[in-house]
Amino acid sequence: MKSYYDITGDGGSNIVEQVGAMQAAIGEKLAGVKHRVAIGSGKGGVGKSTLTRQLATALRQRGNACAILDADLNGPSQARLSGLQDVPLLPGAEGVALPKDADGVGVVSLGSLVPENEAVSFDTVAEGDSYTWRATREFTAVAELLSSIDWGHLDYLLIDLPPGAERTLQFAEFLGSQTAFMLVTVPSDLARGVVARSVAALRGTPNRVLGYVENMRGYWCDACSDVRPLFPESERIDLGISRLGSVPFDPQLAAACDRGELAIGQDRPWWIAVQKLAETVEETIESKPGSGGE
Amino acid sequence: MKFLCVPCDKPMQLSEATPPDRGSVSLVYACDACGYEMAMLTNPQETQVVTSLGVKIGKDGAAESKCPFTGMLADMENEDTIRWTSEAQDRLSSVPAFVRSMAKNGIEKYARDQGYAEVDEKVLDEARSHFGM
Repeated sequence: MKSYYDITGDGGSNIVEQVGAMQAAIGEKLAGVKHRVAIGSGKGGVGKSTLTRQLATALRQRGNACAILDADLNGPSQARLSGLQDVPLLPGAEGVALPKDADGVGVVSLGSLVPENEAVSFDTVAEGDSYTWRATREFTAVAELLSSIDWGHLDYLLIDLPPGAERTLQFAEFLGSQTAFMLVTVPSDLARGVVARSVAALRGTPNRVLGYVENMRGYWCDACSDVRPLFPESERIDLGISRLGSVPFDPQLAAACDRGELAIGQDRPWWIAVQKLAETVEETIESKPGSGGE
Repeated sequence: MKFLCVPCDKPMQLSEATPPDRGSVSLVYACDACGYEMAMLTNPQETQVVTSLGVKIGKDGAAESKCPFTGMLADMENEDTIRWTSEAQDRLSSVPAFVRSMAKNGIEKYARDQGYAEVDEKVLDEARSHFGM
């Protein structure tokens, strides 16, 4: 009796071909993107999205064409961070036009389409059983966005990932080996422990891990003009990857993010740290894998 | 998934697919050699898992699922009707299906705000400039 692999084709369902066509369309649309960098953590609330947003601005100011894909479908925040909450997706001659913020950074986020008081939901014939299909549907939605946007020529496509160490691994497999990863943590052991799980998960993939960023390493105090401690700092958990930079928290930045304002406090310590981070990311990604160090 | 006619040792071909009935899809496969037919009847979870891959099931997508976000969109329907030229409709089809209706609503809001009764390619291009794209 014939086995699965003895039979050519799938008898007419055409499902494998359709999935293959989607992957080919993604490759075609991303052909002009030089560097793809997924920014994840594993831990939620460490500032991945804000850091992604600011890093994009810093890379842009260094002369790079840059865009962000908000892959956190359940908690999209890039639209608000970029002041693009009411910008529709507009079809052009070569696909969907890439929405751009005031800095010229491209931003694709469901936050531009779904009001913040609405849950992101999918129509389904299996109501009440979303755990059986939801993850697959979300990855397909990200694939549909990747394959339909006219990304054009970019130096950097930053992909803002949702939290979850396992999710980070799934995105590595989904985005393919040409996507590098940058992880974000805060100085506490609690966060570093979760990020360590993501590092371990990524170790089994061919994806390059550029390193990690220590976000919220202290906060900038206007009254004392100094960076004050914010978390019980510890490096007892060795992440085993390069530290690309450390960025202090700044209450002014948090307020600006809520307002969707981009250019603030160009002389503030957090911005100086993000500029340094952008320089380090550029150097690291252009260097040969394994040549970096703390 | 493939189906094999065991007596003939030949692959069976999809011959008929019916649209979802309460989430279940019926797919009929036939053996070209002996004419034997069999039907695969999916449960809603199986239907949803496959359609979640972004694929159409059956010839011409007979068992294609509806556009996601439908419930939410029902609340966002606009009162006024804006016409779309066929060229603009063609362009709209490049927007992923799961966000197409939301994109359409956004474009129609722009058209309405600008006093247009119809969306054509010129309006789409103008909207791109308006939004800095």
